[in-house]
Amino acid sequence: MFGSARLLSAISALVKRTKADGVSVSAHAKTRRVFRFAYDAIHQDLVQESIGVAVQVIRRGRVGVARTETLTPRGLRRCAEAAMDIAAHAPTRDALPALPARHRIASTRDWVAATSSTSAAQAVGSLKRLFQICQGAGALLAGSFVSGEDEFAVANSAGTACYAASTVAGAKLVTMFGALSGYASGVHRDVRRLDLDMLLKRSLTQSLHAREPAAVPLGAYEVILEPEAVAELVTWLGDIAFGAKSLEERTSFLAGRLGERVMDAAITIYDDGNEPDTLRVPFDFEGTPKRKTVLIGRGMAAGVVYDSVYGARFGRPSTGHGMPPDEVEGPLPLHLAMAPGRRRVAEMVRACRRGLLIPRFHYVNGLLNPREALMTGLTREGAFLIERGKLTKPVKTLRFTQSLLGAFSRVKGVSRERRLVAEPSQEMGCALMPALHLAAFNFTGRSES
Amino acid sequence: MSGARSVWYSERLRMSDQSQARTLAAEALRYLKRRGVDYADVRCEHLLHESLVAEQGRIASISLSESAGIGIRVLVKGSWGFAGTPHLTAAGVRRAGAQAIELAKAASLVNRAPRPLAPVEPVKARHASRWTVDPFAVPRAQKIDHLLWANTTLLGPDAIKRATTHMDFYKRWKLFRSTEGAAIEQELIESGAGLEVVAQRGADVQTRSFPNSHHGALSQAGFEYVKQLDLVGGAATAREEAMQLLAAEPPRAGETTLILDPTQAVMQLHESCGHPAELDRALGQELSYAGGSFMTPEHLGRLQYGSRHVTIVADATVPGGVGSFGFDDEGVPARRVALITEGRFTAYLSSRESAARIGLAASGGAMRAESWNVPPLVRMTNVNLEPGEGTLEELLRGVAHGYLLSTNKSWSIDDRRLNFQFTTEAGWEIERGKLGRLVKNPLYTGITPQFWGRCTAVGRREDWRLWGVPNCAKGEPMQLMHVGHGSSYARFDGVAVAPAK
Repeated sequence: MFGSARLLSAISALVKRTKADGVSVSAHAKTRRVFRFAYDAIHQDLVQESIGVAVQVIRRGRVGVARTETLTPRGLRRCAEAAMDIAAHAPTRDALPALPARHRIASTRDWVAATSSTSAAQAVGSLKRLFQICQGAGALLAGSFVSGEDEFAVANSAGTACYAASTVAGAKLVTMFGALSGYASGVHRDVRRLDLDMLLKRSLTQSLHAREPAAVPLGAYEVILEPEAVAELVTWLGDIAFGAKSLEERTSFLAGRLGERVMDAAITIYDDGNEPDTLRVPFDFEGTPKRKTVLIGRGMAAGVVYDSVYGARFGRPSTGHGMPPDEVEGPLPLHLAMAPGRRRVAEMVRACRRGLLIPRFHYVNGLLNPREALMTGLTREGAFLIERGKLTKPVKTLRFTQSLLGAFSRVKGVSRERRLVAEPSQEMGCALMPALHLAAFNFTGRSES
Repeated sequence: MSGARSVWYSERLRMSDQSQARTLAAEALRYLKRRGVDYADVRCEHLLHESLVAEQGRIASISLSESAGIGIRVLVKGSWGFAGTPHLTAAGVRRAGAQAIELAKAASLVNRAPRPLAPVEPVKARHASRWTVDPFAVPRAQKIDHLLWANTTLLGPDAIKRATTHMDFYKRWKLFRSTEGAAIEQELIESGAGLEVVAQRGADVQTRSFPNSHHGALSQAGFEYVKQLDLVGGAATAREEAMQLLAAEPPRAGETTLILDPTQAVMQLHESCGHPAELDRALGQELSYAGGSFMTPEHLGRLQYGSRHVTIVADATVPGGVGSFGFDDEGVPARRVALITEGRFTAYLSSRESAARIGLAASGGAMRAESWNVPPLVRMTNVNLEPGEGTLEELLRGVAHGYLLSTNKSWSIDDRRLNFQFTTEAGWEIERGKLGRLVKNPLYTGITPQFWGRCTAVGRREDWRLWGVPNCAKGEPMQLMHVGHGSSYARFDGVAVAPAK
């Protein structure tokens, strides 16, 4: 770990040394320890240390960006020189990134020593116990276990200096019993609060079933989507609809509909980079503090997220959703959440006469028609048929093709409980989602061998 | 001149950093041998990536990225350990070596079975990909001019909501050394460019890309590849087709004949053949991420994957392919492996460990890592559908009704790589052997072996094109690999086609 003083001083010094009209430097230092296992053996384990630095210079209306993966003075100098060289020869731009002024943030509230110091022996010890439980149940186990820490810092020539340190721990558990599989995942800042036993129990509950998976007829079904399934869909909405660029280009389903009802009144979707118990990050890649931004408010199209460039175009302040300076997809929401409801999943199941319980989706693609949020994807482990309020039999893999606007317009229930969903081995971002009970979801295909 | 500066930048790296990497790799190997590992390899990499993007007639981004570091992989008591570090000092690599050993020793508390490796002759070698014009030596102003000319050609009608042109150039230098004695240096250069235009009217959004979507025009070549793409010429056609698509009708739903042009065949090959033929996936090692494979080892040599027209090779030797190299990241020489031979499943993409695990004599030479800070995984190289005979006109002949589909828009396949669904940017109806009206939002779906089993023809070599997929995702942490796919036109009977809605 570099620490606030070393990381901020390195990039602040670079900002000072680089003579331009505006300079912004972001740095992300990351450590990950990853164990991957399948059929009771660890087949991959790694320690990954990385530091990524992005330098953006603005010079006479021109912009240059360069990246490096070192914090050495020589490497940083070379990176700044490359950015200056690009700016010297680039065409002038109409819209220049604004440098947020004088934000000072220093956050270590999400850094947990126990997670940072998780040893290989501790991790393997935990996994060994899970293997033994699975073997006792006659099931096989595959999955991954991740722990790590992040340091994120932004400094600019307008006086901003922001730093946040955090840790993360996560696990994915796939249990296999005969022809059935189960899945559970969890993520937390504090490895001690990552309840592996509970995750294993949840996964085993899906897989330890006496009945073979059944092929059910295609068509529209009432569905209960567990939080991981909801997260998969809403994250796609974030990519195709909730950023200002998609609004400007009118490919977002919100374009021309702001203030109108687009979903059921039970649906409120927002982005909040400061929400506790998530993988929150208090500022964006421009150094702007994160603002909670409501995207869908009680079913109404409420807004999108902005960075400094798109905020200026729309006459709005940045909401703190700037991405790295060489990204061209514009501002994006990285901490999506759906407001909780009042139901419990068990109540939703009891209220369902005939439908499907779906723990998660696989390989969702939301590019079919973004104006309608038309998506396709598949069920995976743990999908069950519900008949007369009871889970009756596991079902074979089904493909859906469905407009999310249509599906989210007929909501029968939103769960009280929400789960945090994230890929802990990856970059920033997470989703905090409840379960949803939807009146109709269209299944168009099934897998066969 | 900015171009001269890029050359200076690149050459300075060559002289100083490569020498340092050789010294550090030797130091790492000495350390690992002293620690008594059963096997170890050290991979030093240096990557330069230049990216230029224009949007709406203006430059949106120009960036240069540099990455350098060392990855150390050890095998101790039958378990792997890997550590990657950007700290390029003797202390840094010794620390990484110690971390890798600690991980392997910890994993050995769980692992019981040994991990034999298929043998490979350790060699001392150098390899460089072919290029004529080093893209990092081309003045940036020339690239910008080219990019903006094509971009402004896309602009015009109000319905055009996005016009994007892009260029990407990569220069990768790698040093691989192993405790078995291998010492291999490779330098690979890639160049690519393309454009995308988005038209929108009401609820209808239509996209056309040229020459392929998803940054698919990427080749292991120099700037000469970008120049021959003719972006400006393609821009006018793409803009017109995007506008025409807004007024076009969707296809009729039903089972019909389908001809995939090479741009869509890329994605079909990628998802339904390349990924399921990865042996580590077939052995369950991707279950917690993208899933498994229906092509499990008991099917090797027995499964009828497709019709007799279908021969698919994994060829790491094909010139220009972004999945080509001299040696993979285990030091195995590049190979050409027939995954599917006249419809029969005949080989896997494999590594030294996975090959040994199912009793194969040698690795398929497909271990590749995205960068120095991740271990190699079994990856696609260039997974290509071998050409057959016949022009497009000859493939169309005799088709009473069907569609010719071009340029992938969306993609999805199940966790065993059986049920797939694709949409393409454009399609043309086939009526009585002739191409007819343009159709929008075409969607087709199928089950992998049934679909390839209905392949009735593959077009001639003259129409065979090699594309790049620069964002093939696999593993945890996710690694994005550059892989290649080549195909000519391919015709299939009895395919379920529908409008995407």
